[in-house]
Amino acid sequence: MSAMPKLEVPRFTFWRGILLAVLALGFYSTIIRITQGLAGATNLTDEFPWGIWVGFDILCGVALAAGGFTISATVYIFNLEKFRPIVRPAILTAFLGYVLVIGALMFDLGRPWNVWHPLVMWNPHSVMFEVGWCVTLYTTVLALEFSPVVFERFKMTKTLHVLHVVMPILVVLGVLLSTLHQSSLGSFYLIVPTKLYPLWYSPLLPVFFFLTALTLGCAMTIVESFLSRRAFGKSLEMELLVPLGRVALLLLALTSVIRFADFRHRGVLGLVFAPTYEARLFLAEILIGTLAPAVLLILPKVRKHTTGLFLAALLIVMGVVLNRMNVSITGMERSSGSIYVPALTEIAITLSVVGVGFLVFALAARYLPVFPEHEMKEARPIVVPEGGNLVGQPIRSLPVPALVVVALAFFGAVALGADGVRRREVAPGPPAPSATKPELAAALASFTPPAEIVFPQAPDSPGPASFRHASHVDASAPDCLSCHGNTYSFLGRKEAPPAGQMHDTKHCGGCHDGTSAFAIEADCSPCHKAE
Amino acid sequence: MLKPQVKGLLLDTTRCIGCGACALACKERNKLPKTSDDVLKDELSDKTYSVVKQVGPRYVRRMCMHCVTPSCVSACPVGAFVKSDSGPVTYLESRCMGCRYCMIACPFGIPKYEWEKKAPLVRKCDLCADRLAQGLKTGCATACPTGATTFGDRDALVAEARERFRANPGRYNEHIYGLEEVGGTSVLLISDGKAEELGYPAGLDGTPPAFLTWRALNIIPDVVMTGAVLLGGIYWIRNRRDEVEAAEGPHGGSPKEH
Repeated sequence: MSAMPKLEVPRFTFWRGILLAVLALGFYSTIIRITQGLAGATNLTDEFPWGIWVGFDILCGVALAAGGFTISATVYIFNLEKFRPIVRPAILTAFLGYVLVIGALMFDLGRPWNVWHPLVMWNPHSVMFEVGWCVTLYTTVLALEFSPVVFERFKMTKTLHVLHVVMPILVVLGVLLSTLHQSSLGSFYLIVPTKLYPLWYSPLLPVFFFLTALTLGCAMTIVESFLSRRAFGKSLEMELLVPLGRVALLLLALTSVIRFADFRHRGVLGLVFAPTYEARLFLAEILIGTLAPAVLLILPKVRKHTTGLFLAALLIVMGVVLNRMNVSITGMERSSGSIYVPALTEIAITLSVVGVGFLVFALAARYLPVFPEHEMKEARPIVVPEGGNLVGQPIRSLPVPALVVVALAFFGAVALGADGVRRREVAPGPPAPSATKPELAAALASFTPPAEIVFPQAPDSPGPASFRHASHVDASAPDCLSCHGNTYSFLGRKEAPPAGQMHDTKHCGGCHDGTSAFAIEADCSPCHKAE
Repeated sequence: MLKPQVKGLLLDTTRCIGCGACALACKERNKLPKTSDDVLKDELSDKTYSVVKQVGPRYVRRMCMHCVTPSCVSACPVGAFVKSDSGPVTYLESRCMGCRYCMIACPFGIPKYEWEKKAPLVRKCDLCADRLAQGLKTGCATACPTGATTFGDRDALVAEARERFRANPGRYNEHIYGLEEVGGTSVLLISDGKAEELGYPAGLDGTPPAFLTWRALNIIPDVVMTGAVLLGGIYWIRNRRDEVEAAEGPHGGSPKEH
C-alpha cells in the first residue's frame, strides 16, 4: 500500500465508458449553465423554484453522506472497535459527499459568488442559515477526521499525534453538527404548511429526516462495502455488516411507528390510498424503502447473505432518495399549480456530480491508505460466515421468497410511480376569467374623477384653459389607460405643464387632431375662457 | 418614543372597475417594461410586481401582502429581506445569493426570479418604501380612481373596512383577509366574495408560518447541550472500561488488540 502504484493508462471498460459520457454531458451542461443562466439550463419557474439540484443534489446528497457520522460515532464514541476498518471509507465518502453537495450548490445558486454571505450576514431565524453553517463546519470536521490518512501517507507523525488526541472532540462535534443539519433539511419545509402535500408535511419533518439519515448511514456503509469489494477486492467482512443491517431494520421499524402515529394524529391516513399522484408515489416510497427491506432484513438467511444484505441496503437507499424527491418535488407540485420535469441539462449535471463522486473515491482508494491493511489484520479474528467471501455470494443462492420480495418491491414501485405520473395533472388554480362582464355599477358608484387641472397661461394665450376629467372620462365606463397608459403619469407630474406647448401632439394635440376629438382650430372658446 | 405607524393598503374588490391604473402606476414608478398589450392579462413576474385579474364578475389585485411576520424575512439565510417598522418588506439585493428559499417559503407565491439573467435577483413589490419615506402614498393607491386601493395606517384601514361593512349592509362578505391570516398582513382585502375563491391562498390560519420554523430552531441549543453531555459521557464510560481493562490485564473471552 505504501509503494506508489505505477501510473498506467486505465483500461477502457463499460463503466468507465459510461462515466466518460456522463462527465462529457455534464461539462456541456456546465457551459450552458454559465452562458445561458438558470433559464437556459433548467426547467425551473417562478411557480417551481427548486428542482432536482436541490431535491437530489442537496437533500439526497447530504443524507447519503450520513454514513460518516454514524460510523465514526459507533467506533470512537461507542468504542465498538470492530467497526474501525469501515471508519475511513465511511468518512471519505462523507467528505466527498459534502464537497460534492457544495459543488452542486454552485450550479443551483443564482449568484454562486455570494455563497459565503451566510457566514458574515447572519439571520439566525433562518433554517437555511443554520444548515449553511453546519455544513461548512461539518465539512471542515470531516476533512480533519480524514486528514490522518493523508498525513500517514506522508509520514507526518507529530501532526498525527495531535489529531489523535483531539479526535474524540472532533467526532462529538461531527455527530452534533450532523444531527442538527440532517434534521434541519427537513425543517426547510416546516415553513410551508399550506404548500407541501399532507402526506409529507408534518411538524415531525426534522425527526423523520434525522431518523432516515441514520438508517441511510447504515445502508450506505453496506452498499459502499459491497461496491468496494467488487471494485477493489478489499472491504470488510459480513461480521460487521450484518449488525449494521440489524440496526437499519430497527430504525426502519421505529420510523414507521412514529410516522404511522403522526399520520393518525393528523388524520391523513385516508390520503394514503386515495387515487392521487401523491398517494401513488408515497406508496412506492414505503414499498421500496420500508416494507421490502424490512422483510429482507427480518429473514436471517437473507440478512447474512452478502448479496441479500446488499439488496436490502440498496432498497433502503432508493427509499430515502424517493422520500427526499417526494418532499421536494412530488409534494410541492399541486400547490404550485404547475408540473416540473427536470431539463436534460439538470439531469446531466446531477449525474455528473454522482460520477465525479465515484471517480474521486476510486482515485483516493487507489492512492491513499483508505482501506488500511494493518488495521484489518489487527482487528478481531474475523469469523467468515458460511459462504461469505470476497466477491459476494451469487444472487441465485438467495432464498426464492427474498428474490420475489426484491422483484415485487422494485417493479411495484416502478408501476406505482408510473401510475402516479399518469395521474399527475395541474391542480385547478383560481377560476379562469369568465367572459361575463363584471358588474361595475356598484364599483362605479365610488368613481370620482380627479379635480380640475388649471394650466399656466402663455403670454399669447386667448384665455385661461383647464383640464376637467369629468368632461373627458365616460363615467359609466372609465378608461384611464387611454391617456395614462401612454403620455401622462399616474403619479403626479414632476413639473408644471409647459405653457405654450399644450397644442402639440404630446399634449392636447395628441387627441385633439380632428379624428379622435375635435381639432385645435380657429375657435379657441371650447377650451380657453375669454377674460 | 412613539411607535411608527405601520402603513398598509386596503383592497376593496367591490370598488374596482378594472382600469389597471394601479398596475401601470406600479410599472411607472418601478421603471418596469411593458409585458402585455392588455394590462389585465399581465402575470406577476420579475417585470410585474402588481396585477389586476378578472375573476368572474370581479376584478382582483395581487401583490406582495407585506406580512407582519413575513416568511421570506425568516427564511432568507443572509437577511436580504427586511420588514421595516413602517410596513414594507424590502430587499437588500447585494446580500442575495440566489438560493430562492424565499420563493419556496412565501405562502402567497409573491417573490419572482430573474431567471433569464446571469446575475439574477428576486423581485417583488416593496410597498413603494421610498415614496413612503417621503410621506407619499404608494404608486398604486395614488393612481386608483375609485378608492379600490386605499393607503393608510393599518389600524385605520381595518377601521375603514369595518366602517364600509357597517355603511353598506349586504354588500360585503364581512371578512377582512389579512387581518388574521399568517399572523396579519399590511395589505388587507375585502370583497363581496371569498378571497380564497378569488385566487388568494386558502387554509392560512393565524399562526405565522415562520413560527413553525422558530419552534424547531429554538430546540437546537438544548439538543447541542444534551447531545454533547450524552456523547461525551458515553465516550468516557466506554473508553474508561478499556483503560481499566488495560490496567488490570485482559480478562474474559476476547483478547483486546494493542
